[in-house]
Amino acid sequence: MKKIIALLTCFVMLLSFAGCGAAKTSSSSEGAKKFIMGIDPEYPPFSYMADDGSYTGFDVEVCRAVCKELGWELEIFGVNWDQKLTQLDARECDCVWSGMTILDSMKEAGYVLSAPYYDNTQVLLVKEDSGFKSSADLTGKAVAVQLGTSGESLLNGDLKSLADKFSNVVTCDSFLKCFTELSGNAVDAVFVDKPVAAAYAEENKGFKIIDENLGAEQYGIAFRSGDEELCKTVEDTVAKLVENGTYAKIAEKYPDIVNNLLLLNK
Amino acid sequence: MTLLTMIVKMSEGLGKTCAIFFLTLLFALPLGVIIALLRMNKNIIISAPIKFIVSVLRGTPLMLQLLAVTYGPYYLFDISVSRNKLIPVVIAFSINYAAYFSEIYRGGIESISTGQYEAATVLGYSKAQTFIRIILPQVIKTILPSITNEIVTLVKDTSIAFTVSYQEMFTIGKQIANSQTSFTPFIVAGVFYYVFNAIVGFVMGRIEKSMSYYKQ
Repeated sequence: MKKIIALLTCFVMLLSFAGCGAAKTSSSSEGAKKFIMGIDPEYPPFSYMADDGSYTGFDVEVCRAVCKELGWELEIFGVNWDQKLTQLDARECDCVWSGMTILDSMKEAGYVLSAPYYDNTQVLLVKEDSGFKSSADLTGKAVAVQLGTSGESLLNGDLKSLADKFSNVVTCDSFLKCFTELSGNAVDAVFVDKPVAAAYAEENKGFKIIDENLGAEQYGIAFRSGDEELCKTVEDTVAKLVENGTYAKIAEKYPDIVNNLLLLNK
Repeated sequence: MTLLTMIVKMSEGLGKTCAIFFLTLLFALPLGVIIALLRMNKNIIISAPIKFIVSVLRGTPLMLQLLAVTYGPYYLFDISVSRNKLIPVVIAFSINYAAYFSEIYRGGIESISTGQYEAATVLGYSKAQTFIRIILPQVIKTILPSITNEIVTLVKDTSIAFTVSYQEMFTIGKQIANSQTSFTPFIVAGVFYYVFNAIVGFVMGRIEKSMSYYKQ
């Protein structure tokens, strides 16, 4: 008898675990569809925490407008940037949409990628009084880069020759830390996406961008493999927002990036 | 990237992991004794602040202490952040682990019965002699398993050094995982940590055995 009770208890426990799993799936049919947006919460101006503690930024605002249009409930999920695709696979979020560079390796790994929406360049951010004028001046200097960003993959790949010129490349887990390392003189430059550098240089005195285009790339949205339909819905809705002017209105608030938005400058 | 290149790359980082491990032990083990003795001092002016410091060190995450030691001086006093990250990392780890060790030492020292002290006094041992010759050898024997516990944790905690951009083995693993969109580096890291700890376990087991001279 005891054994049967024990077995039954085990079974009930298992069932309740299964229940947990089911409840977590984002596409539950009850009520409005919940759309979980995966962002890097420390990535201004695309996604960051506003003064009131809520998440904002260009990508977040566009996504919010998309969800409003579709009647979806938006949930924002801060991913660990270097694990973003694993977290996407684990269904912790339904997309990664946060100034993310689309790479061929993502396509090869089977992720569904939206059409690019932003033209990005990689630049070096240095201190204003440092006197560095080009990447050549940074020979033998230390440079910081964020782990999991396209800048990091560039330094390990196409720009390996540039990376070899630096005395060392310091990998940080967030851009904020890269910038702290720079202002604290632990590194001499930060290798970063141009809009992020521009936003930082504007907010904080004493920094400048070396005007040298080191890597061209494009931002897009990543979905899980098999989510072509979801991708298409989001893309179409964004297109609708572009048409009715909402997109341009949001873009106006972010002057640093407006010139590189592909959907507006066709 | 082949598995072999992966392992070679991560082994390079393993040296930095070992640097944290050995330097932390080197500083934390003796520092723990000092803290334990101060903590057990009968004078409350000495013991109370030490008690408070230990409670802070044990009550806040190591990651936070690491950030405080590395970036604190810059934010508070505008002192440049250290370029060699090993220095702040070892300082933070040593202080943190010394706090844990000190409590283990204290437990060991307090477990020795007063009869031992009385016997030593009767036999004419001075206070220092009693502590070094009689008490300490017994303490070490009893606390070894707890110390092994902490050392094993230390091996795994070295990965926290990534928070301050110190390029140890796990960081390199993460970088590879990222560029290759692969999970293999984490498995390699897991094996590395396990082997490292198996060696630690073996060595500590040997030491324990050599100390068990009173048992048959």
